[in-house]
Amino acid sequence: MTAPTDPPEHVEKNFSTKLLVDLVLDPREPGYEEAAKRRGGRPANHWFDKPLLTVGCLLAGFLLAVAYAHTHRSAPETAKVHSALVDRVRSAETRTDELARTEQHLTDEVNTIRNSALAGSGKLQQQLRTEQLQSGQTPVSGPGLRVTLTEPSTPNPSSGNGRAPETPTSAGNILSDRDVRSVVNQLWSDGAQAVAVNGIRLTPTSAIRFAGEAVLVDLQPITSPYVIEAIGDANQLDTGFAASAVASRYQTLKSAKGIGFTFGEESTLRFPATSTPATLRYATPGGTP
Amino acid sequence: MIAAVALIIGVVAGLLLHPTVPTWLEPYLPIAVVAALDAVFGGVRARLDGVFDAKVFVVSFISNVLVAALIVYLGDKLGVGSQLSTAVVVVLGIRIFGNAAAIRRHLFRA
Repeated sequence: MTAPTDPPEHVEKNFSTKLLVDLVLDPREPGYEEAAKRRGGRPANHWFDKPLLTVGCLLAGFLLAVAYAHTHRSAPETAKVHSALVDRVRSAETRTDELARTEQHLTDEVNTIRNSALAGSGKLQQQLRTEQLQSGQTPVSGPGLRVTLTEPSTPNPSSGNGRAPETPTSAGNILSDRDVRSVVNQLWSDGAQAVAVNGIRLTPTSAIRFAGEAVLVDLQPITSPYVIEAIGDANQLDTGFAASAVASRYQTLKSAKGIGFTFGEESTLRFPATSTPATLRYATPGGTP
Repeated sequence: MIAAVALIIGVVAGLLLHPTVPTWLEPYLPIAVVAALDAVFGGVRARLDGVFDAKVFVVSFISNVLVAALIVYLGDKLGVGSQLSTAVVVVLGIRIFGNAAAIRRHLFRA
């Protein structure tokens, strides 16, 4: 046997130092030495040796296994909760889509029935159709203008310090709800008759706003590229928009910050009906000012 | 021999029985594990040194676990729980290393 080196003599004086040196150089449980000394060098030989040893080893093994099982069970537990939540979100999304489809289907049905019921009264039907069109209740198609705003593809240099940004979508968020809104407003003022943003039809009660990192159009989140389409006199829309302050602002942003900004006339644009028909609770017809 | 068999039986029992660790015991589990490892390595080393004693083994094992748990418990009450558990793990870890080194010297004469 190669015994560990004895601690130097002088440290004997300092108890706490000896403790540390012992700890590092000779970590043997002193109890074993003392027990051996008491026995006078003979190997231990009691009747309880084997049962004690068995119990001790059983305990130690049990403890190790329990710790292992415990550590590895708690991890899947969180994963289980997570996947259960993901499942619930997914099924809720599927259900929403399903309900939206059902609603669209029923609306079509109502329209068909109403049209056949009003077949005789031409003027009333005409008026209803116009109003439905204006309030975004029916799909619409026609010529118009398409404006596309895109976030710059390279993230802002300020957030590129080697670490991934906390929210990847926030990297270089130059465009916000204000930009989408100003384009929409410009298109309305240039004579647009129906407007859709990323395929979401705008209605008289539509709101374009910002929540967290996403632009919300009628509570539906959209991300870059923002495609704003307007149906109307394509020529008028095009010239009016090109000459507007909004367009020149985004031209500047395009060269300065590298956002994508294009617009052009389209011969045929198709918008769906709004998926969130307005329920007007307070506004009632009538009452001339 | 008996010790190895008992250790394996203990591991298998722990894996098969899947006992639920009570929440109040959870913070002491890592400490108890390190203390158990220390006792096992110390026992193996003493066996190779020829001074093994079952009584010392069991008493040192249990008292190590209890004292380590007590230190962490006190630390928790006084607001230094994580620091003290680090201290316990460091001390026992050094001992495990030293014992493992002694066992290595015995087995490989190197």
